[in-house]
Amino acid sequence: MESTFIAALAGLTSIGAYFVGARALGLSSTRLGAAVGKMLESVGMTLIFLAANLTTSVLIVLAVRSLTGTFVSAYATDDVVWLGVSLIQGLAFQAWRGSAAESGARDRG
Amino acid sequence: MRFLGLASKPTDTRGVSPSGRWGNRVCRLIGLVGVVFFLVTAFSPLAPRANQWLANPPQLVPSDAIVVLGGWVSPSGLLSLESLRRTNRGIDLYRRGLAPVLVLLGGATGGGPTEADVRAEQARLRGVPPDAILTEARARTTREEAFLVKALLQSRGARTVLLVTNAGHLPRARPLFERAGFEVHTAPSDSLVEADEPESRLALMRVLVKECLGWLYYRVAGYI
Repeated sequence: MESTFIAALAGLTSIGAYFVGARALGLSSTRLGAAVGKMLESVGMTLIFLAANLTTSVLIVLAVRSLTGTFVSAYATDDVVWLGVSLIQGLAFQAWRGSAAESGARDRG
Repeated sequence: MRFLGLASKPTDTRGVSPSGRWGNRVCRLIGLVGVVFFLVTAFSPLAPRANQWLANPPQLVPSDAIVVLGGWVSPSGLLSLESLRRTNRGIDLYRRGLAPVLVLLGGATGGGPTEADVRAEQARLRGVPPDAILTEARARTTREEAFLVKALLQSRGARTVLLVTNAGHLPRARPLFERAGFEVHTAPSDSLVEADEPESRLALMRVLVKECLGWLYYRVAGYI
């Protein structure tokens, strides 16, 4: 029931956003596919940062264990905050890449 | 840096280098996989089904001891939800007469009481006789739990154990206890947990992914 409600609501707001974008803001409908592509790139970059953060933190835990003999639980790295941190990192990095591409295009133009 | 699309030359008319475009495609593919995985996990019964598959079939047969693996306890002595589930499951199995001994595991966090002691108190309050309760609070990993339980039960001649932990943890915990010399019967603590909302499905999938990585690590390290 909750799943259906969430899915229906997300569908409704997405359709609403489409009409606001296309009618009120005059955005091109044909550019929507490219926008979804950009969104996927940002999600992908976030996941890359998430994997890098988690791998690095586990390696640090294992290094501390083996080098100092002090036990640090691998569960210390298990925190949902990594997802938020990785999202911030991923979006910032993608924005940086985007600005580099824009300046490259300007230089050529 | 060109792979990342941060180079200024050479670029196409949109200012993106060919290697940068390849990087975009990789990011897009990873993003697509991530979005599909998120939606399928949240809006389908994938996580509960996978958990059920790992939990099946529970083997609730008479054994020499019930072993309840550690979860987490707060410094003030509050058991985590999973720790509480495992404890309750262990107590229920004892009260059903499936074993004469209840082994409760779990160390302390931040100088507070040990998880094993908090669990033992709960077991006593629910009618388990004190002389049927054994505690072990020194183990810090599942592997150490198997070693220490072996030492604890060796003098009692225990050979078969009912192993209580969450379903996702069983593929890692079971072979460790088998390696320690026990015949293991599994009693998942979360086989009755219903994950029927998106949030609980995502939380369950997080546990399963974490346990998969733990299993992989133990496998690579040669522990199982």
